[in-house]
Amino acid sequence: MLLKLQKRTLVPSQMIGYALTIFVGITIILISTQFYYDTQPLLSQQTEAFKSKAAVISKNISVFKSLDKEKIYFTDEEIQDLEKQSFVKSVSKFNSAGFKINAFSNKTESAPIFYTDLFFESIPTKYLDVETDEWEWDSSLDFIPIIVPENYLNLYNFGFAESQGLPVISKNTISEIEFNIRVSGNGKSKDFSAKIVGFSNKINSILVPEEFLFWANTEFGSLGQNKTSRLLIDFNNPSDKGILAYFNDHNYSISKDKLELSKLSFFFKTALLFVLFIAIVIVVLSVSFIVLSLNLIIQRNKDLLLNLYAIGYDYNRISKFFQVSISLITAISIFCSILVSYYLRGFYLDTIGGLFDFEEQFNSIVLFGGSILVLLLITYNLLIVRNVKNTVIPSTALLS
Amino acid sequence: MPTYMSDAEIKASDIYLVESVVFEKGKKYLIKANSGHGKSSVLNFIYGSNANFSGKIEFQGSFPKNGFDRRKSKISYVFQDFKLFPDLTVFENIQLKNTLTDYKSIEEINSLIEKVQLGGKRDRLVQKLSLGQKQRVAIIRALCQPFDFLLLDEPFSHLDQENIAILTSIIEEELDKQGASLIMTSLVESKLFGFDKVLNL
Repeated sequence: MLLKLQKRTLVPSQMIGYALTIFVGITIILISTQFYYDTQPLLSQQTEAFKSKAAVISKNISVFKSLDKEKIYFTDEEIQDLEKQSFVKSVSKFNSAGFKINAFSNKTESAPIFYTDLFFESIPTKYLDVETDEWEWDSSLDFIPIIVPENYLNLYNFGFAESQGLPVISKNTISEIEFNIRVSGNGKSKDFSAKIVGFSNKINSILVPEEFLFWANTEFGSLGQNKTSRLLIDFNNPSDKGILAYFNDHNYSISKDKLELSKLSFFFKTALLFVLFIAIVIVVLSVSFIVLSLNLIIQRNKDLLLNLYAIGYDYNRISKFFQVSISLITAISIFCSILVSYYLRGFYLDTIGGLFDFEEQFNSIVLFGGSILVLLLITYNLLIVRNVKNTVIPSTALLS
Repeated sequence: MPTYMSDAEIKASDIYLVESVVFEKGKKYLIKANSGHGKSSVLNFIYGSNANFSGKIEFQGSFPKNGFDRRKSKISYVFQDFKLFPDLTVFENIQLKNTLTDYKSIEEINSLIEKVQLGGKRDRLVQKLSLGQKQRVAIIRALCQPFDFLLLDEPFSHLDQENIAILTSIIEEELDKQGASLIMTSLVESKLFGFDKVLNL
């Protein structure tokens, strides 16, 4: 009887509208958060594909800076500021040679004869991406190990050698070739033998061991020193989005693929967050809508509720119908959301699994969906009882 | 803030501003007053649906102003405006109360409906009934619960003598059965029920 009486109070179109919107909203929330969890390791795997979390930065060179060369150097303040950033673990300077360097080949070698000016730089060994046991400088031997960018070899093999009809050289071959280095400065000059011991993918420079450069700089150094145009930065977390913002603000350029990737992952996360935000808006709106609609229903049927209360139905009993109906609708909608999310997840897992080597993550759909459901039900039930109570018992009757 | 009646309005009252009024169980009382003098208010105070009064009502030692459980087992009330549900049938309206108290059997309810000459309207929606018919439904509904006091708020205002006689006997029967009291309001003196006391409000 009570059911028959109260059934008429609900407006079917409102209930259906609510069920649909809450279904859509919750589904998007569930699937986007799960998608985030699922792709998280993929992103971090990719961004940390490089073992080291270091990158080389320099200042962007513009027309004005090419005239005023001082502007491409980092000042001490700038370096200190960098060191203070939360995402920076350590900052190392590139040491450059302050003396004149020439490289030339022995005339007896089979390799082409060359004579060229060179420059040297050095960085702390731990940042090198080259593993070689020859990366040692012994002051007693007149030998310098050298690391060049792998790009140089490619440039030679696929560009220069190709067009000039010269033979291509493999990494191993080039490592066999010894050539001579003449270091001069401070009125002194000395010849060394040298060999390319490795190729770096990371650092675009011609590197020699730090110890050698320190020694040579004190021995031959005459040109202006202590100017740093490039810094090597060790990051705490290379996918920190603060990195890009900071470098953009300071107009530094950064040579690292992984930061491109972190850019990508930043956009991806932003997009996902945006979708999540929209979904939350949908859910909040639909919840507010149904709360409002229930309040209206209760107000519109005030006489009915008052009469029920007058003949002995207490407010808990009167509320029960509204509580049960709204709880049931919400539960069914969220249950459907969970089912659909499961289906969609299976769908995208198949796709991702086919593209990447990918480990399945914890499935939070049921847990998360269930929590939302419980939260909503508690809210609705409390609000309904409070509303019905306030309707049937006018506040003045609550004295005593 | 509730607005109270002025002293002038209630000078001659047997209830308002009197030190105490006692309604004993098993007796029948008539509260008589002209329209607008607060007959319904007194009943609402007793029923607990209106708490805008100063003073104290005691019932078996205590009486919380909004005491709600009285409505199911201690006090039954025939409201002046019936408080019936127009979308339910005669039987459903009565049953709505009876399911709450589980006091009368379906047969008993059916026989009461027959007695007040509403047998043909048992499954008719209450909104289709006349005032007098609604009044009869409201009275039967009020009898579907255990009570110590039965409150009737001008219960026969829309009824003919024949129906009044029928209802009076049904009510008296129930009162005797339950050993309960009757408090009835009326605009005029009433010979019905053989009241033990008449209070002028």
